Amino acid sequence: MKWLELLTVAGATLAAAVTVVVLYSLGVRLTAIAGDVRQASPGMKRSLAFLCFGLCGLAVLFGLYLIIPYFSG
Amino acid sequence: MVALVIGLALFFDFTNGFHDTANAMATPIATGAIKPKTAVTLAAILNLVGAFLSTEVAKTVSGGIIREGSDGVQITPEIIFAGLMGAILWNMVTWLKGLPSSSSHALFGGLIGAAIAGIGFNSINLEGLLQKVILPAIFAPLIAGIVAYICTRLAYALTSRHDPETGSKLTQKRGGFRTGQIFTSSLVALAHGTNDAQKTMGIITLVLIAAGTQAPGSGPQFWVIAACALAIAIGTYAGGWRIIRTMGAGLTEVKPAQGFAAETSTASAILASSHLGFALSTTQVASGSVIGSGMGRRGTSVRWNMVGKIALGWLFTLPAAGLVGALTALLVKTGVVGVLIAAIAGTAAVLFMFFYSRKSAVGHHNAIEVEEAGQAVRFAKKKAMARARAKAKAHARTSAEANTSAGATTGANTSAAADTRADANTNAEANSDTEAEAVTTKDAQR
Repeated sequence: MKWLELLTVAGATLAAAVTVVVLYSLGVRLTAIAGDVRQASPGMKRSLAFLCFGLCGLAVLFGLYLIIPYFSG
Repeated sequence: MVALVIGLALFFDFTNGFHDTANAMATPIATGAIKPKTAVTLAAILNLVGAFLSTEVAKTVSGGIIREGSDGVQITPEIIFAGLMGAILWNMVTWLKGLPSSSSHALFGGLIGAAIAGIGFNSINLEGLLQKVILPAIFAPLIAGIVAYICTRLAYALTSRHDPETGSKLTQKRGGFRTGQIFTSSLVALAHGTNDAQKTMGIITLVLIAAGTQAPGSGPQFWVIAACALAIAIGTYAGGWRIIRTMGAGLTEVKPAQGFAAETSTASAILASSHLGFALSTTQVASGSVIGSGMGRRGTSVRWNMVGKIALGWLFTLPAAGLVGALTALLVKTGVVGVLIAAIAGTAAVLFMFFYSRKSAVGHHNAIEVEEAGQAVRFAKKKAMARARAKAKAHARTSAEANTSAGATTGANTSAAADTRADANTNAEANSDTEAEAVTTKDAQR
């Protein structure tokens, strides 16, 4: 039946979108924290932020890898 | 006939790209993440790339809705010609109205109408229609909307920062989402290419198979892929600015974080569903996402009457395109003269709509007032209003003391206008205030 597929689509959509949004939001928050005046270790926070952005990009690339038949055969 | 159908199919592809630029690029243009011209160029390139990436959808398109093959009826190029005619005309009408309607539904509707009129009602696979078109049409915007809602809430929750001691707001740097939007909207454009260019490829392949120049069951040939990719890219570049206006500013006000959340959900919904074999409508998913993200941010209102208009457009897409398809199919049935009449009438209608649209051109320059401008105006207005109000109040007090009761009965504003020389200042303030207001209301109407 199609209902199961529908649920899969909904689940996959939710999982993918939430992953990307959470990672990117964390990155944005960390850059904001790093920009604060009274901040002990801005460099660390900034690199953490870039790590978040990087992970977000990786998540997107992984998703593309799964989808494009050329790679996943 | 085959050449005519292929030409028409490519033109449909063009209108499809034209129509759907909005899905990917309306929100980044609205938030000022990308300049309009750059946005459509980017979308065009990514559509081109996306069209080459996968041909999975092309193999399944239109299969299952019309019974083809040995046990069913033979679908002819004439039927496809009629179906495409319906789809193109409906796409043009909705573009003129600025409605983001589904190009895929227009195509399906046109084909179904043409098949019913040309072959008979039994040519339609009702179960397939329900499963492949109607159910996704209901659930696609719903899923995308809910996901976008959740994502918007998450994005705002994760980036909201308050000072633990004073409780005042700290810098949030939500403008950072603008950079992210460039990537997410590119993803949507890519998804659109992998999805919608395929539909035309499927159609052309179907025609080639029906005409006997290609073996049944084989995938699209390379020149078909290339032609479709080019057609959709050119269409995207031309840009359907009317629909961009509706999507970017008509449904709800879009902020960078919202746009980011909406685009992420759109892209993942389209990619996930096309990967798992659901023919979703890109347009419906994107609209659902924008509405969902509009509900997700506190203080944003969704313009429900616009949503209603769009939903009505969706409801009419299948039957309207079907009707045109059916009429064309009946014409085509009469022979070569009928085909000629249909082709000329269709071209005339498209040309008419194009020239009609020239009357009130919507281009990249006036599609959407970019967010910063809107904010600046509103900001200025708020300040000016506060200043004007304070002055009016002070003035009302003094005039109430001096005069008897003019200020109390007619209100501060009119008394300010009645007084001549002492309050030239306030008057000017009030004037600029109303001017600013006029600008913002104009902004809101778009």
